[in-house]
Amino acid sequence: MDFWWIAIIVGAPLAAFGIIWTIAYPLMFLYAALTSERNLVKSQAALVDREMKSLEHFRGSDPLSSLKGEHIIAGVEASGLVYASIVFGPSAWHQLIGWFANLFGGRIEIYHRVIALARAEAMQRLRERMQSEGWDDILNVRIDTAEMSPGGVKSSINAVEVFAYGTGVRFG
Amino acid sequence: MEHIVSGIIVVNTETIAGKMIVQNLGVVGGSTVRAKHFGKDIFASLKNVVGGELKAYTELLEESRNEAIGRMVSDAVARGANAVVNVRFATSAISAGAAELFAYGTAVKVE
Repeated sequence: MDFWWIAIIVGAPLAAFGIIWTIAYPLMFLYAALTSERNLVKSQAALVDREMKSLEHFRGSDPLSSLKGEHIIAGVEASGLVYASIVFGPSAWHQLIGWFANLFGGRIEIYHRVIALARAEAMQRLRERMQSEGWDDILNVRIDTAEMSPGGVKSSINAVEVFAYGTGVRFG
Repeated sequence: MEHIVSGIIVVNTETIAGKMIVQNLGVVGGSTVRAKHFGKDIFASLKNVVGGELKAYTELLEESRNEAIGRMVSDAVARGANAVVNVRFATSAISAGAAELFAYGTAVKVE
């Protein structure tokens, strides 16, 4: 018995994907090179807007804190876990810049900007979620950053996962 | 959060403000291993060329975390606890495309 048809069923889609990838990748890389800087600046500006809005909602003070709650004497009605996360990656163009910067060592500004944006975004999502769930304050905020490369080091995906969580409290 | 957990307090602080811990029922944990659909993996790697948020992965991790917390809470309920304190999370990439999410904490009885 020969199983050549299995090879075709498995191989044909992979081959088709390979062909599409080799055609699409250079175009996408060009697109990334042209737009990614502007997109990064734009999403930074959008994030600052949302931060100002939630700052206004909480009357000028940031509701997130890493205090453990010993300063609260009385009046807490309810508490519960609040969390938010984001998976964020630099574009292929930014990865190339980072790679070049890595050759010379020192400060790698582009990765710093990408990770700082991801972290600020996760914290802002935490603020928005606490607002929608009706918490007044968040205590003991922790921020975890995990590398997100599902295929190991050689994976085609370069991204970080930022996970922010804390304990929401509601005052009665 | 309240949609996953009903009638049980889950916090990541050591104490619960306004409540007193009367009994320690041990460490409880819940974990889940999830992998994304092959097609969505491909889309994520395409999106990664352009940069920005990979929504498919954000959603995957969000769902998995909800499930891990749900399992931790049902473990706590089985021990007769009414709260879980000092909750922590751990993430590990177990193999290509699969992620393990682990949530653990201390099950306690509060008054």
